[in-house]
Amino acid sequence: MTGPTAVIFKRTRKAKSSAPTGFWLGARTWKFFWLKKLFLLSLVLLFSLSLNLPGAEPEAFFKTNKFPAPQTSPELKGQLSLSGAWALYPLAVRWVEKFQKINPGVKIDLQAGGAGKGMADVLSGLVDIALVSRQVYAEEIKRGAQPVAVARDAVVVTINQNNPFLKLIEQKGLQKKLLRQVWVEGRIKTWEELLGQPGNTPIHLYTRSDACGAAETWAAYLGAHQEDLKGIAIYGDPGLAEAVRQDPLALGFNNLNFAFNPRTGQLHPGLAIGPLDLNDDGQLSAEENFYQTREKIKQAIASGLYPSPPARDLYLVITRPLRNKLTATFLLWCLEQGQGLVEEAGYVRLSNEILEKEKTKILAEFSEAQRVAKSR
Amino acid sequence: MKKESLVVRISGLSAFFPVILVSAIFLAIFLKALPLLTIKSWWHLVFSSAWQPQKGEFGLWAFIMGTISVTAVALVLALPVSLLTSLYLAEYAPNRVRKIILPALDLLAGLPSVIYGMWGMLMVVPLVSKYLAPFFGTSSSGYCALTAGVVLAVMIMPTIINVSLEVLASVPASLKEAALALGATRFEVVRHVILKKARPGILAACVLGLGRAFGETIAVLMVVGNVPQIPRSLFSPAYPIPALLANNYGEMLSIPGYESALNLAALILLMLVIIFSLLARLYLSRLVRRSG
Repeated sequence: MTGPTAVIFKRTRKAKSSAPTGFWLGARTWKFFWLKKLFLLSLVLLFSLSLNLPGAEPEAFFKTNKFPAPQTSPELKGQLSLSGAWALYPLAVRWVEKFQKINPGVKIDLQAGGAGKGMADVLSGLVDIALVSRQVYAEEIKRGAQPVAVARDAVVVTINQNNPFLKLIEQKGLQKKLLRQVWVEGRIKTWEELLGQPGNTPIHLYTRSDACGAAETWAAYLGAHQEDLKGIAIYGDPGLAEAVRQDPLALGFNNLNFAFNPRTGQLHPGLAIGPLDLNDDGQLSAEENFYQTREKIKQAIASGLYPSPPARDLYLVITRPLRNKLTATFLLWCLEQGQGLVEEAGYVRLSNEILEKEKTKILAEFSEAQRVAKSR
Repeated sequence: MKKESLVVRISGLSAFFPVILVSAIFLAIFLKALPLLTIKSWWHLVFSSAWQPQKGEFGLWAFIMGTISVTAVALVLALPVSLLTSLYLAEYAPNRVRKIILPALDLLAGLPSVIYGMWGMLMVVPLVSKYLAPFFGTSSSGYCALTAGVVLAVMIMPTIINVSLEVLASVPASLKEAALALGATRFEVVRHVILKKARPGILAACVLGLGRAFGETIAVLMVVGNVPQIPRSLFSPAYPIPALLANNYGEMLSIPGYESALNLAALILLMLVIIFSLLARLYLSRLVRRSG
């Protein structure tokens, strides 16, 4: 080596060799030490991730263990990962917290990112369970998706509290075929037309921009898909609620849990709910009028008075064949003890018959996985 | 010597890394977009504005126009302000003022884009729907190309200002002094000497801003309205390509051709950026040659 480079090289090398080792000896060394630790940590992390990959679960697990196993035990060990719909996220958080609390050996990773992302993740094997807030398509079932219904909620029409026609809307209700002409066909463009009045006040129509269960469910009610919904498209449920709050002429839709304040159970200030005229008689009769509090709507959803869609089942989606036993154990727990958390998180409970049906689904999947493991 | 040549080789290899990376990205996107291109003519895909994936319609023209219009609005708004700002900071501002403005600019440049998006939703959207749209005699929800342009303009201003500030500061003092000695006023020096000398660099600054504007995703998608139609005015909603990708990339599994279409959109975005920076480069080299 010649010239200035050589000098620089020599200097750095010397500095390094004479540098003190040990974290108490100066900031610079500490940094290196820290980096090294980080490196080691990420190695460990990578290793543990690879353990969680599909196929890594020993097949003997299925063969030897009895099922259903006790769902609360310090011996229950392993890792689970969940990802998916915003609509189901608040409930999933509670479930995951509780399940980890009673099973200290279990680590669960939970992410929200939309029903579409969750479905993509679970089908590609990135996560064990997807949260999905819409109907599962036939295409996805063909690729191995197995939906398990765990709770219900609904999509409701939201309008601004200062809407000039609020009185009339609450008196007449909104008819499905007219709403379809607003959202899907684009034929109705004014509030007066929607309500059968003379006048010319434009509807400011909103929808969701991100691929989501709420828009898909609402579109299904109107006999369409999310891409057919007209209107300004806003990102995310909170964003849509905010847009409607700010615009007196707005017409939008929201998940139940984003139209109401989760803590008080009251509507968010500035929002009102557009009631549906379910029997198309142009009047909102007493039994159609259940929008005052979240409790009343939840009762209407549970009794089937509020139609489905826009009420909908929320699903945890697994892939078949079942990848590991812990997934099945967690799902069963959600359908049994976990149901206790459904109401307080603001969702509607499924009927006991449906819960039993979903449980048999899981058990069937488990014995199927067991059979496959044995035959190999 | 041996060590030397090793260093040369390693650093040479890593210098080629960006080139390899760009081609790899290009290739990956192209390969993913290919299935759709074999079914449908690229002419139809690019210039049709019918976007209905469930029915197999993947026209991207509305998204291309959305991207271009939002970026154009942002540039038109940001350029004059940022050029004047950098000129003031480089030539006129007292040190005290500079010490206040420069850190503020750095802060603006470092803000996460979600923050800009939130600000856009909470402040710019109502401003446009309540005041600007009625002022121009139309009505708008506020979620429109103009709002996105305003938010974007604010986001790219720090970039343009910072770079052109560097450029202006690099104009040799001797040139300025010579002009001043010949009796030119301060303004004449700025106009005939500094701006002339700094023109290529300022152009480069604008291209940097343009690149950022083309690709900015989350802040734009929060305020732009996301309606797949060609924007007819500043007050109608648009749907730029980055927003399309961010909104839909998770959902492409179940619909045939969707993933391919999104990759094609990404490819078009990449080409747009490349075309614009090539044009700027061409103009730049001509400018440099002419000024000798």
